[in-house]
Amino acid sequence: MPKRKDEPGFSRRSFLKTVGASGVAAGVLAQGAKVDAQPNVMGPGAVPVTLNVNGQTLRLELEPRVTLLDALRMRADLTGNKRGCDRGACGACTMIVDGRTVYACSTLAIEVQGKKIRTVDGLASSSGQLHPVQQAFCDKDALMCGFCTPGFVMASVGLLEQHPNPTPEQIRKGLDGNICRCGTFTRIFEAVSSVKGVRRG
Amino acid sequence: MAKPPFAEAAGGEQQAPQQPPPAPQQQQGGGRGGAPQQPPVDPRYNWSSTPKTVVGSRVKRLDGPDKVSGRAKYTFDIKRPGMVYARAVRSPYPHAKVVSIDFSAAERVPGFKTSLIVRDPKDPKTSVVLYQGDEIAAVAADTEEHAIDAARAVKVQYEVLPAVISVESALAGRAPEGGFPNGNVRAANTQEVGDVAAGFAAAAHTLEQTYSTHVITHACMEAHGTVCEWDGDKLTAWVSTQGVSSARDNFAGGLGIPQTQVRVICQYMGGGFGSKLQLGPEGLICARPAKQAGVPVKFTLDRKEEHLVTGNRPSAAAKIKAGVSADGKITAFDAESWGTGGAGSNAGFPLPYIYHTTPADNRRRAHKDVFINTGLQRPMRAPGHPHGSFITEIMMDELADLVKMDPVEFRLRNLPPEAPNAMWGSYLREGAEAFGWSKRHPTGDTTPGSIKTGMGVAICTWGGGGRGPSPAHCEIASDGSVTMRLGSQDIGTGQRTLVAIVTADALGLQPSQITPEIGDTQYGVSAGSGGSTTAASTSPGIRIAALKALDALKEKVAPALGVTADALVAAGGKIQVRDTPSKSLSWADACKRIGTQPITADAEWQPGMTSANTSGVQFAEAKVDIKTGIVRVTRVLAIQDCGLVLNQLTAESQVYGGVIGSLNFALFEDRILDRRTGQMVNPNMEWYLLAGMSDVPHIDVRLKNMPERGVVGIGEPPTVPTAAAVALAVRNAIGATVRSLPLTPAKILETLTQKA
Repeated sequence: MPKRKDEPGFSRRSFLKTVGASGVAAGVLAQGAKVDAQPNVMGPGAVPVTLNVNGQTLRLELEPRVTLLDALRMRADLTGNKRGCDRGACGACTMIVDGRTVYACSTLAIEVQGKKIRTVDGLASSSGQLHPVQQAFCDKDALMCGFCTPGFVMASVGLLEQHPNPTPEQIRKGLDGNICRCGTFTRIFEAVSSVKGVRRG
Repeated sequence: MAKPPFAEAAGGEQQAPQQPPPAPQQQQGGGRGGAPQQPPVDPRYNWSSTPKTVVGSRVKRLDGPDKVSGRAKYTFDIKRPGMVYARAVRSPYPHAKVVSIDFSAAERVPGFKTSLIVRDPKDPKTSVVLYQGDEIAAVAADTEEHAIDAARAVKVQYEVLPAVISVESALAGRAPEGGFPNGNVRAANTQEVGDVAAGFAAAAHTLEQTYSTHVITHACMEAHGTVCEWDGDKLTAWVSTQGVSSARDNFAGGLGIPQTQVRVICQYMGGGFGSKLQLGPEGLICARPAKQAGVPVKFTLDRKEEHLVTGNRPSAAAKIKAGVSADGKITAFDAESWGTGGAGSNAGFPLPYIYHTTPADNRRRAHKDVFINTGLQRPMRAPGHPHGSFITEIMMDELADLVKMDPVEFRLRNLPPEAPNAMWGSYLREGAEAFGWSKRHPTGDTTPGSIKTGMGVAICTWGGGGRGPSPAHCEIASDGSVTMRLGSQDIGTGQRTLVAIVTADALGLQPSQITPEIGDTQYGVSAGSGGSTTAASTSPGIRIAALKALDALKEKVAPALGVTADALVAAGGKIQVRDTPSKSLSWADACKRIGTQPITADAEWQPGMTSANTSGVQFAEAKVDIKTGIVRVTRVLAIQDCGLVLNQLTAESQVYGGVIGSLNFALFEDRILDRRTGQMVNPNMEWYLLAGMSDVPHIDVRLKNMPERGVVGIGEPPTVPTAAAVALAVRNAIGATVRSLPLTPAKILETLTQKA
């Protein structure tokens, strides 16, 4: 996919991964930044950021380091999606950006300008009717404390929009990026297996 | 009745292991106690006084729609006008003296608001930190990013002190002093019952082995967090807690203000598993800056802090000598055990677990608590039991092999007598049949190829039970609305829904017609949700309050139906004459007679509607690749009782969750310490391994409903035996015994190498 001009050279997730991999990588990264020449420098102070979230335009003033998750949670009161690990490992922050599931804790808000962002807050209809995935989670008791639930719901929606009739293996693989500490996996599997009629995204 | 094991760990409480074995007496709440001996409850209120219309059915969570849509507001989601964010400065060293703290650079960070010293360098009593992550200071700033910047800018000078990292070196006396009040090792009194030497003399075989379990952390999805807002001297605190009442008391005590000046709110919380029963230091680190700065403060721990300082499950180890007779009966048990709960916290666990010696009770146990420079333990789902279970059950299969006996048969010969709260024998027989146990091969799968399959079995118990006062307040208004109000909280178990179920059942209504009001100290004082005691503690008060309110409603309705109040019953959304159901008023019409003043009724927990102790059995099947050491658990069967089942749907979910939690304990999660620096090397969620969807086996749940026993509790028992059953399935598959958890591929390969 061609990179947009104003897109920074790396995501927070790839940065964390690189630093996590080894100390040497930090040097490599610094070198790479040099080679990448003159990117569109933003910050360190707040910059205007425009986001398209759940069909609405949000205009925010954010430091470039602010993640999509924190921007929506702390600056727009869209608190449905949660922060569990803050490193792209638990999936509680899962949102759908241009049809693909992303870890919003590891995506910078400035990276996703101009893209269609969907969060759990906007999933039910405006009249409050639950999405079939949300209804299935309620019917099958696929939640306990509920903190991981928004991320699982979004990951399930993302999966079903790609594979409306998933195999058991596709469900397992599709949701392997999410963690539930209460242990609701069995029920979530039942819930996602029961959903019919999600339109291909 | 079961003989009490040594050093029972009480649910949700820390208990020193040097205490003598508890006398066989009734024990309300927590770990397994004796048989219940309760006076009968007023028969008008007991569970059997009305037909069960809702209790025991499958009721969806009332708050499900709020949770799946993101509308449910957790503490982490609370935002107050003018709110600022706090961040702690924590020790990178496991043992150090704080020499100085310099906030000057932090104060220059944009948005800086206030600072707080937790470890005063001038105070010798508080200036020493005992573990990595120990609180030094805190700052608050306008955004979370600025608070992180400010915390990083705080300059702390330390005098680094030698630390105790390894339990083994502490036990061997080779470790430096870790700075603990009782030294590095505290030995408990040896407990002894019967004639252990005579027991061994009667044995045909003797087993001597050492077994151990590791430290894990609670890893709640929602980190510990608090929002504090002061109005003059009154504090309102939103806390991610398992006990709003205890949090209120902890705030009042820590701040030196009256309990009545503190209101604690927790409508939704993202998991606690025992680590949120008491308000930790993080509570005051939020409340104090809020008072200083005069604005609401939010303090949410990050994932690393969560691993380091909000509790952990202690390790456990035991060097065991056990004798077994030729006919498969354990004749004597002798154990030297130890464990660590970190810097100054104890690490008790029951041992031997459930099984007993025959013909006489011949047991000895010596226990040592080892203190190391790591975060303090907090109770974790069934404290002590998963450790005692693992150690005992692995020993059981090794003993069974000594006498060449099937593990189920061997267990049947060593169980306490069957009783309503001790049903292991029946469950073992039922489970063996259902699981296909007869197809289990002797130890070691001889099938060609690298994938080996095996089966294992383990049993569990837990006390649960109810305790008072646990008051509940019922209100019925003239528009027919019903509110049940109590200071309890829903920690993810479905308590909010249980409140509605029990109320609706008593009033002949549906749960959706009830408004449960919980999670707020304004609704009264209630016990913390720990020890699997919440349902049993609160449901009697709820039911009695609802029935008393109904009595008052019947009095108002009786004249209209031309009968006396005692001729009326509530059923199917109506108040009707018992003998002529056609004479009735709808609930709405009945309530119109209430008038402007709503009917209210209050009640508390009463003995006789709840009892203590549960029993459960789990079977597991595992496949092990002996080339890679990777274990895949394929099937688990869980048979579990919990007394009267209130909500079949959520009770089953508790069992699924318990099994998966124990699977994590068996195979994946592990707090790994750097042996030199004492720092945790995996304080995150990518290297602190937790099961994902692909790791979860097929789980069959058989929940045993025992209405005659009243409510007991289900949260903890199912998380006890899975780990042992899995370890025994692995043993059965590979023909070698891994005697410590977790069952990592490396450990399995090492065990196989030693066997070869």
